Amino acid sequence: MIELKDLTKRYDGFIAVKNLNLRVSGGEIFGFLGPNGAGKTTTIKMIAGVLIPSSGSITICGLDLASQAEEAKRRIGYIPDRPFLYEKLTGYEFLQFTADLYGTGKGGQDGIEVLLEMFSLAAWADELIESYSHGMKQRLIIAAALLHDPEVIVVDEPMVGLDPAGIKKVKGLFKQKAREGTAVFMSTHTLDLVEDICDRIGVIHKGELIALGTAGELREKTNVPGGRLEEIFLHLTDRQGS
Amino acid sequence: MNEIYRLVKPRLYSAKNRIIGDGVRGRGFKAFFLAGLGLAFWGLIFIIFYRVLSYFKRVEGFGDILALKLLSMVFFTFFVILIMSSLINLVAKLYLSRDLGLVFALPVKPEKVFLARGLEAAFDSSWMVIAFSLPVFLSYGIIFAGGGIFYLVAGASLIFLALGATGVSAVIVLLAALLLPAARLRTVTVFLGVLLFVFLILSLRLLKPEQLVNPESFLTVIQYLEALQTSGNALLPTTWAYDALQAALPGGRGDWYFHFGLLLSFVGTLGFLSFWIARPAYFPGFSRAQNAGRPPVFRRSKSRWAFFLSGAPRALLLKEIKTFFRDQTQWPQLILIAALVAVYVYNFAVLPLGTVPWRGTNLKNMVSFLNLGLSAFVLISLAARFVYPAVSAEGEGFWLIRAAPIKIETYLLVKFLVYLLPLLLLAEILVIATNLILEVSDFMMALSVGTIFLIVPGIVSLALGLGAARPDFQTENPAQTATSVGGLIYMLLSALFVTIVVVLEAGGAYLVFMAELKGEELTLRHWGWLTGSFLPVAALSVVAIVYPFRYGKRRLGELMKNR
Repeated sequence: MIELKDLTKRYDGFIAVKNLNLRVSGGEIFGFLGPNGAGKTTTIKMIAGVLIPSSGSITICGLDLASQAEEAKRRIGYIPDRPFLYEKLTGYEFLQFTADLYGTGKGGQDGIEVLLEMFSLAAWADELIESYSHGMKQRLIIAAALLHDPEVIVVDEPMVGLDPAGIKKVKGLFKQKAREGTAVFMSTHTLDLVEDICDRIGVIHKGELIALGTAGELREKTNVPGGRLEEIFLHLTDRQGS
Repeated sequence: MNEIYRLVKPRLYSAKNRIIGDGVRGRGFKAFFLAGLGLAFWGLIFIIFYRVLSYFKRVEGFGDILALKLLSMVFFTFFVILIMSSLINLVAKLYLSRDLGLVFALPVKPEKVFLARGLEAAFDSSWMVIAFSLPVFLSYGIIFAGGGIFYLVAGASLIFLALGATGVSAVIVLLAALLLPAARLRTVTVFLGVLLFVFLILSLRLLKPEQLVNPESFLTVIQYLEALQTSGNALLPTTWAYDALQAALPGGRGDWYFHFGLLLSFVGTLGFLSFWIARPAYFPGFSRAQNAGRPPVFRRSKSRWAFFLSGAPRALLLKEIKTFFRDQTQWPQLILIAALVAVYVYNFAVLPLGTVPWRGTNLKNMVSFLNLGLSAFVLISLAARFVYPAVSAEGEGFWLIRAAPIKIETYLLVKFLVYLLPLLLLAEILVIATNLILEVSDFMMALSVGTIFLIVPGIVSLALGLGAARPDFQTENPAQTATSVGGLIYMLLSALFVTIVVVLEAGGAYLVFMAELKGEELTLRHWGWLTGSFLPVAALSVVAIVYPFRYGKRRLGELMKNR
């Protein structure tokens, strides 16, 4: 579903992501961890197609993101870390806008009502987004990302601003989507969430992938048997030097 | 006082950082370019006023009266502009600034915050008006041989008028925040300011200043002189400033310090009054403005009028129109444009062309031809305000476009069409209405309509393309991007484009005018000239549409490599 080959991103003499090679299959929830400034958001943005890599390639469902951008993006649901939206549209209009943009047709229309209910936004659907709280905007973005039933979900810090009920709902939703065959690529600092729902974990540090595997495999690799993910993470990143 | 200084300090630091800078590429060029442009404008104002006042001075008898009448109009205009500008600034600084939440969490009394913000607003809203009014007073000083006291009174009057205008606006804004629905605060106060400005334009226009140079329209010379000498309302601070300055000139009437004292007491009273109101009213008003109450609910519409589109173009079109019209900061500007257009067309109705015995119809055709260029320049400034910032207006939400399965050209094309249609319509209405008033020939009407049809798409494409090439998605006010280097380059290129079009068409148009004047039929030579003029104009218009659009598309695409 998602395949990264020698993915590199350089900015004016600084390498944000270096030769990243990774494959995430359908039905898998992949947790992408790393300290601040490690290159997580840069990687996520490249996978979502909003940032062009300096070199390397990204394949989404067999489609090359560079040469078949529109077709590949149609298969992605992207949830950024900060909920910047068109504040002068209502929640309903924003979902309608997304449905039209992704060409979902009649199914999208029905989907809007379902998602508004699912994310407890129906009561505010006809009010301007500018009056929404941070959490409501985050829920709206998640709803919009799911509207076209994407085969790949790319998500950066999904739980920021969500209340406990919202967090539970989103966790359940990701698990359900994975069961239906969707690949979920998730970057987060919430290690409990990763332990809870991720099938595999990748740790990026200073732009390089320093560890990859299941939570169990990482425990073995780091020699922290029975340790919590927090200890493994700190062990891995400390060893590399921060 | 120390607390107020500490509150203003962040602003001073950021100003210092902007000036000293960190060597960001292009900053030096930008500063140099803007300073040069400002200086040129400053010089232009000086030359115009110097020449007009020199001319007045030569008119025996009532030349001085005309010059002083002009001075009182200048004071009144400045004061209205200062009030409008400080109203807008104060609403933003006292109630809407993002940092206010942090400032109110500090152990500082709200009235101190009010004073610090009031001073900032007074500076922001007046520095430009004061800077560009200096050449006006300099020319008065030179022509009327004003001494040091004249310049001193002029400078001090301007500063105190600015402080007075901020005081008046502060009282209005403080009371508005307590009385108006909080969510409407910005809209209503901005509306007030714009209405004041529109009132100024219309009242100055309806005074028919052209009659002041046409004494025949008055029944007697005495009536005419009385009309000129009517002093302003004795209760207006602009009258006190004017009287003080007039008294400071050699041979002036009265004592300048009496009138200046009146102005000073006005500013002192306003300062005390606004501070007195701010103590109990500012923080409750701010707190109220944070709670917007129940937001408005919008009816779901199927937007059937957009039936001809589907998918992404439809989504982008509806989004563009809804977000534009729901942005209340756009409304006052639309009212302002409507007023300016009305004044523009009205000016043609009062042009005394009928009284000119020389070649009446031909003169009207020539005026109409010049009007073609003038309308295009109006369009250039409108496109600078609305089209150039159109991509920047996406703000941080631009990631939605980047992530969506659409091509950048589709996105830009929709924007192009959204702005092209109303601007083309407006431009055609402008030239057709003025041509009908001028009663021009059929040829001139066809030339005007055809030329506007060719150049408006070019102007829109230049604005959109160059705006897309240098977008600023972080700005709080996208309209400000029009004053960036990119905006100025757009203005220069558009002005060059329109000038070339007018020059190219001038030859052909002149030949046809002359043939009409002599009552001759159009020959093959005339048609050859017209074709030779129009074909390059059409080709140039195509270039003006295609290249800026492609440039904007390419640069916007490259942006995804860097951010």
